[in-house]
Amino acid sequence: MAFPEKDKYTGMRRMILFCMILVPVIPFIAVLGIGYYHFKTSLETSTLATMNRIVEDHRQMIDGFLRERRGDLAFILNTNSYADLTDPARFYNLFTQLQRFSNAFVDLGVFDQDGIHVMYQGPYRLVGIDYGKEEWFRHVLQEGYYISDIFLGFRRIPHFVIALKREESGKTWVIRATIDSYVFNELVEKVRIGKTGEAYILNSQGIFQTARRSGGNLLAKDPDDVHETKPQPGVRTFIRKDARGDEFLFATTWLQEKEWLLVVRQETADAFKSLRSATFMIILIMILGGVTITVLAYTLTRQIIRRMQRIDVEKQQLGRQLVRATRLAELGQMAAGFAHEINNPLQIMKSDRALIEMIFSDLKKKGILLEPDAKDLKETLAQLKLQIERCSKITQAILEFGRKSEPTEQDVDVGAFISQLTSMISEKASVQGIRLKKEISEQTPLLRADPSQLQQVFLNLFNNAIDAITERHGCEGGELLVQAGPDTDGRVRISVKDNGAGISTENLKKIFAPFFTTKPPGKGTGLGLYVCYGIIEGMGGTMEVESQRGVGTAFVLNLPGSDAGQTQCEPKES
Amino acid sequence: MDKMRLMLVDDEEGFLLTTKKLLERKGIQVTTAASGHEALEKLVGESVHVVILDVKMPGMDGVAVLKAVKSRYPLVQVVMLTGHGTVESALEGLRSGATDYLMKPIDIDELIAKAEEAFVRWQIMEGKIRVAEGKAPDKKQ
Repeated sequence: MAFPEKDKYTGMRRMILFCMILVPVIPFIAVLGIGYYHFKTSLETSTLATMNRIVEDHRQMIDGFLRERRGDLAFILNTNSYADLTDPARFYNLFTQLQRFSNAFVDLGVFDQDGIHVMYQGPYRLVGIDYGKEEWFRHVLQEGYYISDIFLGFRRIPHFVIALKREESGKTWVIRATIDSYVFNELVEKVRIGKTGEAYILNSQGIFQTARRSGGNLLAKDPDDVHETKPQPGVRTFIRKDARGDEFLFATTWLQEKEWLLVVRQETADAFKSLRSATFMIILIMILGGVTITVLAYTLTRQIIRRMQRIDVEKQQLGRQLVRATRLAELGQMAAGFAHEINNPLQIMKSDRALIEMIFSDLKKKGILLEPDAKDLKETLAQLKLQIERCSKITQAILEFGRKSEPTEQDVDVGAFISQLTSMISEKASVQGIRLKKEISEQTPLLRADPSQLQQVFLNLFNNAIDAITERHGCEGGELLVQAGPDTDGRVRISVKDNGAGISTENLKKIFAPFFTTKPPGKGTGLGLYVCYGIIEGMGGTMEVESQRGVGTAFVLNLPGSDAGQTQCEPKES
Repeated sequence: MDKMRLMLVDDEEGFLLTTKKLLERKGIQVTTAASGHEALEKLVGESVHVVILDVKMPGMDGVAVLKAVKSRYPLVQVVMLTGHGTVESALEGLRSGATDYLMKPIDIDELIAKAEEAFVRWQIMEGKIRVAEGKAPDKKQ
C-alpha cells in the first residue's frame, strides 16, 4: 500500500515541477529571443547605414575634388590660346593662378600634338622630352581627358596627373598637371570607425591608391581582392574574410571621375561588439534566470508536496479515529444487546439459587442434611451468589455505557471538584506511597457536566493510575499529578498523569475497547475506560491518552466549559 | 384483613416458575402470567392486589399492560420490573400510575419488600374507598 502512495507523490511532484519550470521559462526565453533578434537587426541596419553614409560622403568629396581640378585645368585651357600658353611670362602667371585655385597642383606642362613637352612650370626640367609614345598621351588624344593612377614620382610623394586636350583650327595641344593627392589621402586615411574601421582606395587592378592603416602600402596589391566587380554606380556591402582570415564588413563604391574603388571596412567582431556583449548578457540572464526558476520550482514543489503529505497523514489519522469511534459505538451496541440477553438468564439463576438456599435451610432445620454435606452445599451456594453478582456487575457496567439517560448537568468548579476527588483517594494513595499533586490554573473556566458521571470517570482514572504506579514502584516513589487549565473556546483541559508502568503501543490501541484489560481475571472487567470514554463523549468532550512503557501515562480530557464560566473569566483575563 | 395476592407477569417461564415457588414458600399467594394478554385475562377472574410486571415483553409490552390494568382496576398496585436499558420505560410506567419499579436482576427479598409496600398502599386506598362508599352508598362496587 505504501508503493502506490509514493508513486502518487512522485507523479504529482513531476507534474508540478514541470509546469512550474515550463510556464515561466517559455515567456522568459521568448522575451530574450525576440529582444536579441530585434537588437541584432537594428544594430546591423544602423552599422551598415553608417558605413554606407561614410562611403557615399567620401566618394562625393573625392569625386568633387577630381572634378574641381579638371575644371581648373579646363578653365585655363579654354581661356588661353596655344600662343598664350607658350608665352613664358603668361604661362608662369597661369601656373601661379592655378596654384591659387588649389595648392595641390605641383606642376603644369604643355605638349604639342606630337607629344613634345613645349612648356613646363614646376620642380623639374622636362621641356623638350618626347611623350608621343606614352600611354597617357595616346589616351588623352583619343578621349580628350585622362586621369592617371597614383604614382610616387621622384620625391616619393603620391601624385597623379590630369591631362586635357584642345583642338582649334587644325591644331591640337594638351596641358597636363601633376596633383599631390594628399588632400584625398588624408580624407580617406582619416576615416576611423570603432577600433578597426578604415577606408582606402583601390584602382581597377586592385592596387592601393592610398595606404591602408591595418597594413597595405601605397601601390601594393590588395591581398583581399575586393575590386573584382565591374564599375557600377551605388554602394555594395558584404561580409568577407580578408587574407588573414579575419571577418570584415565591407562597403565599396566606384568613383565617378575615375575607375577607383573606395573601400570602407570594419572587422565584424568590432562592428558588432555591442551585439556580442548583449549576447553574453542574454546568455548570463538565461542561465541565472533558468537556475532561479528551477531552484524556486524545486523549493515550492517540495513544500507543496510536503504539505499534501501532511494533510494526507492527518486525513488518515482522522479516518482511523473515525473508524475507532464507529467500532466503539458498534461494540457498545453489541455489548448492550448481549448484556440484555444475559440479564434474563441471570435473573432466573438468581431466583433459583435463592430457592435452593431456602430449601436448604428448611432441610437443615428438619435435620435431614448432615454436617459435612451441609457445609459444602452452603459454600457452593455462596460461591454461586458471588459469581452471579459478578456477572450482573458486568452487564450493569455495559448497560451504563449504552444508556442515554439525561444527566443532570450543572456548573462545576474544577478546583473544588478535584480537591474533593483527591481527598477521596488520598488515604489509598498515601498507603501506596504516592505523592498527590494538583496544578489548577486560576483561569480554569467552570465546567458544564454531570458531577456524578465526572466523578466516576476520575475515580476510574485515579484507580488505574494507582495500580500502574504500584506495579512499577511498589510502595514508594509514586507520583500522581492532576492538572487543569483553560483550553481554546472556553473549554477546560484536565490531565491525569502518573509515573507508573505505562502502556505498550499495542495495548494503547485497544485501551478504550470493552472487555480489554491487562489485569488478572476477576480483578477487572475491562469496562472501566470503555465506560469513561462513553461518558466523556456523551458530555461533548474528548479523551486522549499518551503513554510510554516505563515512563508513565497521561490521560488528557477536553471538556465543555459553562457559558457562565466563560463570561466570568473574561474580565479577569483582560 | 386480606392476605396479599400477587400476580407475576413475565415472558420468561423459568423466572415465573422459580419466583412463584420462592414466594409461595414465603407464604404469599401467587398467580403467574406469561404475557400481557394472559395477565389481563386472569385479572378478570381473580382478585389480585399487586402485579409485578416486566416492562420488556413480546407482544403487548409492560407499559401498555400497565395502562390497561390501571384503567380497568385502578386499585391494583403495579410494580414495574425493568432491565438496565429500560429505565426510561420504568419512568414512563411511574408517570402512568405504577407504584414502584424494580431493577433486574432482582433479589427475592427486595421483591417481597416492594410487594409488601405496594400491598400497604392498596390497603390504604381500599380503606379510603370504603369510607367514601360508606358516605355515598350509591357509588359503584
